[in-house]
Amino acid sequence: MTGPVLRAGAWPAVAGISALAVVVGGCGAAFPAAVTVLLPICFVLLAAAAAFTLDEPASLVVDVTPTGPVRRTQIRAVALLAPLAAGALVLLAAALRGQALPWAAAGLALAGNVLLGFAVACVLRTRTGEPGAMAGTVVVLVLMAPTLVPQVARWVRTFPAPGADGPSSDLVWWIVLTVCLVAIAISIGGRGLPRRMSIIP
Amino acid sequence: MTSTLAFGPPATSPGRATFPALAIRETRRLVLNPVFLAAVAFIAFALWAGPDAGQTEIDTSNPYAAISLGGFGMMATYWLTRSMRASEPVVGVTPVTQPARTAALCAVALVPFACGCLALLRFVQLTPVSSPLYGPFSPSARVAVLVGQIVVPALGGPLLGVALGRWVRFPGAAFVLFLLIYGWVSLVTILSMSHANSALVAVLRLFAPFAFFTLHSDAGGVTAWRGSPWFFIGWQLALCAIAVLVALLRGAEGRTRSRIIRALGVAGVAALILLVLAALGGFTHPLTA
Repeated sequence: MTGPVLRAGAWPAVAGISALAVVVGGCGAAFPAAVTVLLPICFVLLAAAAAFTLDEPASLVVDVTPTGPVRRTQIRAVALLAPLAAGALVLLAAALRGQALPWAAAGLALAGNVLLGFAVACVLRTRTGEPGAMAGTVVVLVLMAPTLVPQVARWVRTFPAPGADGPSSDLVWWIVLTVCLVAIAISIGGRGLPRRMSIIP
Repeated sequence: MTSTLAFGPPATSPGRATFPALAIRETRRLVLNPVFLAAVAFIAFALWAGPDAGQTEIDTSNPYAAISLGGFGMMATYWLTRSMRASEPVVGVTPVTQPARTAALCAVALVPFACGCLALLRFVQLTPVSSPLYGPFSPSARVAVLVGQIVVPALGGPLLGVALGRWVRFPGAAFVLFLLIYGWVSLVTILSMSHANSALVAVLRLFAPFAFFTLHSDAGGVTAWRGSPWFFIGWQLALCAIAVLVALLRGAEGRTRSRIIRALGVAGVAALILLVLAALGGFTHPLTA
């Protein structure tokens, strides 16, 4: 069962966005002055890649098979290794270039971004078979908000800028990680058929 | 006995007759799109809040229109265009051609464009053109900077979304492109800070749908970078034309297709010339005032 479920995943989307994220993050590693701008964009792309891991074009059929949502989600979660590996590669490249980043906080931000994308996809998967596009858009808008809106940036920081004043990103990501784990558990546990199917007699 | 039936051209083609109705319908769909509503709310909030008290130059507060109306507008029109894919087998047999439907979709860009014009008026009200925050630019060049940073991206972003929706199947293409453009503009702007005299970096900075023209100088005052804001508007408008033509190319057949391809060639050459003029024009070296 594991093989077919994994094979049916939206691998081109997950791998493609992860590859773009590596390019963006690689530019961040190459240009030290741009690292605090490009690494957050790289992480947002990885979150968007994670949002596509649960896409299931054949959901009308798959959702009524004996393999439950918990098992299917567990198998599909393996695909999260792609964005996580891409993020780790970017951080490694930045470290090799001698960049001084708070690495533990950056690693936490990477995990938080990817898990947030996955959690939003899990929640939206209860409504649609292909939540990737919607989840990706939501995640991008939410995660870019501190970058785009200075009023938000005063209160929330999503990337640990070295030596910067202001709020710590760690607290944000620990809260996000906790909320995401709860949201994933609830959405998987409560997921029978997607709601659009409840009208089928 | 035979009879000959002569078919004359109709008074108006179905495409032309239905275009206003289609455009109004698509416009109504756009203004109800949650992403577009979020974009309007975002720019309204940014302009209502006004610039920070310690604002040192215009570039800290004028990219919001490009981000919201241009970037988010691109996502909204991309969704609008893609949402018709599922019904293509049905819509495809109607008398209205796909280019006519695409043209109706392109017409919705007038809404964010109008919002961009309003945003420009409000921005000028908050930060008058005579303000020293604009740096050493002449009054007309200051207006050009604002038009290129506020109004034209509000038109171009949604047009790009339509073109993307017509050609790209990947459902996340709009937000991926938004992030890539945001990253590119950030990268070349940061490069411009350290290589302000470089012609190549100036070309790279202007090789984008949005560009910054000023930087607050550490020594005091505002530094204007190389480049002509007027020619940059020309480059942006050429990009808009290319986006429309690329969108119209999808589903075009026969003479229409060859005309669009010819027009694309002309627009491409014009864009290239305007980019070069934008990079070579204006100040030939950074100037602080």
